[in-house]
Amino acid sequence: MSTTAAEAGLVTISPGPAAADDRGRVRFAVPATPRPLSPASADRPEIGRLELRVAVRDQRSVAAHQYHQGALRVLRPHYLDDSGQVCYVLVNPGGAYLGADLFVLDVEVGDGAKLLLTTQSATKVYRTPGSFAEQRMRLRLGEGSQLELAPDQLIAYREASYRQNTHITVRPSSSLVMAEVVTPGWSPDGESFRYEKLRLRTEIHVEVAGQTQLLALDNVLIRPSGNDVTGMGFMEGFSHLGSLIVVDARVDQALADELHHVTAAHDAYTGVSLTAPVAGTAGLVLRSLSNSTGELNRLLGACTTLLRDRWYGQAPLNLRKY
Amino acid sequence: MPNTATDSGMSYQLALQQLTDSALPTGAFAHSLGFETYIERGLVHDEESFGVWLAAFIGQQLTFSDGLAIRFLYEGVPVPDLDSLLTAQLLPRQLREASVKMGSRLLEIGSEVFPSPALDEYRDLVATGRAAGHQPLAFAAVARSLGVPLPEALAAYLFAAVTSLTQNAVRAIPLGQNAGQRLLRKASDGVAAAAERIGHLTPDDFGAISPGLEISQMRHERQRARMFMS
Repeated sequence: MSTTAAEAGLVTISPGPAAADDRGRVRFAVPATPRPLSPASADRPEIGRLELRVAVRDQRSVAAHQYHQGALRVLRPHYLDDSGQVCYVLVNPGGAYLGADLFVLDVEVGDGAKLLLTTQSATKVYRTPGSFAEQRMRLRLGEGSQLELAPDQLIAYREASYRQNTHITVRPSSSLVMAEVVTPGWSPDGESFRYEKLRLRTEIHVEVAGQTQLLALDNVLIRPSGNDVTGMGFMEGFSHLGSLIVVDARVDQALADELHHVTAAHDAYTGVSLTAPVAGTAGLVLRSLSNSTGELNRLLGACTTLLRDRWYGQAPLNLRKY
Repeated sequence: MPNTATDSGMSYQLALQQLTDSALPTGAFAHSLGFETYIERGLVHDEESFGVWLAAFIGQQLTFSDGLAIRFLYEGVPVPDLDSLLTAQLLPRQLREASVKMGSRLLEIGSEVFPSPALDEYRDLVATGRAAGHQPLAFAAVARSLGVPLPEALAAYLFAAVTSLTQNAVRAIPLGQNAGQRLLRKASDGVAAAAERIGHLTPDDFGAISPGLEISQMRHERQRARMFMS
């Protein structure tokens, strides 16, 4: 998953039948279904929207609803093994987030369904003068459902400002594994941390009998402009941040200790801890600092390999990017 | 002498001194809130290096978590909501447990010496398992019921936290007593800046702690030899 070309700032535009607009983004005239399920965002114009609902049909997970508009879409689904888990690859045909862009993702994994959601390439945030690019993602997991979120790294380039709001609702019987890597992009003077501000906020709620309770609030704010974020108490001399969030009724202290042990073999500074339990489920949060995307991907990959094997009986994730 | 505004002002001044005195038995002496990990790594080893950590802790943890929670309580956000927000946001387990341990002591002491309906309500939520009972919220409930204005409550809470941590560092590193006092004098500027900054933050800012502090707080769970519970 290491993308040195992407880190060097190369933008690739996916081949497709539709014409690119003046910002280099491909517009799709005909959505997969005629109407979006949720209303458009009122406060900022949406540059891309993706809605996906996955349900079980004949022991396999399939899309029960799919809608995309603008600069977000998914590739044809595929199955990496015989577990029934469907894999969708998210594509941003424009290749990057710019200016005041707003991207909206709304994903639901129905009862018993299994979804692996990944990306085709790194999410790149370029200069956003006087504004910020934003992604809002809503994820809902049904009873006994399984969601693995394994995007490529987020790269924030010089003068980029980015907000990511992720709102997740799980059931006590859901299983969630999400990994993420954030890296500073290359800049002409070779210095890291030339971006303005990164704000990555994730809320995880547990729903029981129509009532929801907050399980975890993970809020990362890195603001290199005007502040020294490199030192002790901030990034501890590292440039890249990795995180893994796991929510599952099987999360316990022994698992946290085991994952901590797995991370010890990597060239990174890592911490693992448990959330307070809510309604019979619990969360595990792993944070890791390093100087390379590759190292963080290997570390997070080692952790998800353990979980996939133990909980789902699945082989290590091997994503051949299309 | 008639009961005047000056009298009530004086009464909260003394109450605030009692609440923020480092002798208040909340168990703060048992918590490094993460700095012991830096001592073990050799990164915090003297007055200057502890000062660097302390400044980061004031500008991050005390600003975006404790301080902002106090402000929200003063602004009328329901206590159960804030309590669950803190439980969810304090991702390092030992930090969460420290906040609840010291919080429950403060609720107990507060209801004996400064009882109020707001504090009773919070205690009741904790007793019935509907809230965890976090330190900044217990403090804010008492301070607000005593009529302490928010800026004073914030500065007093932050400086009390800084004082406990500095005393713990003096014992753990160890540092001289005068070094501890120099650290406190320097930290008071950071506390004043934090109290000011807390007033300008938004709800989205709540819990935005730097990854480095959090990782160190998490790693403390697995540290072999330790003086502190967090």
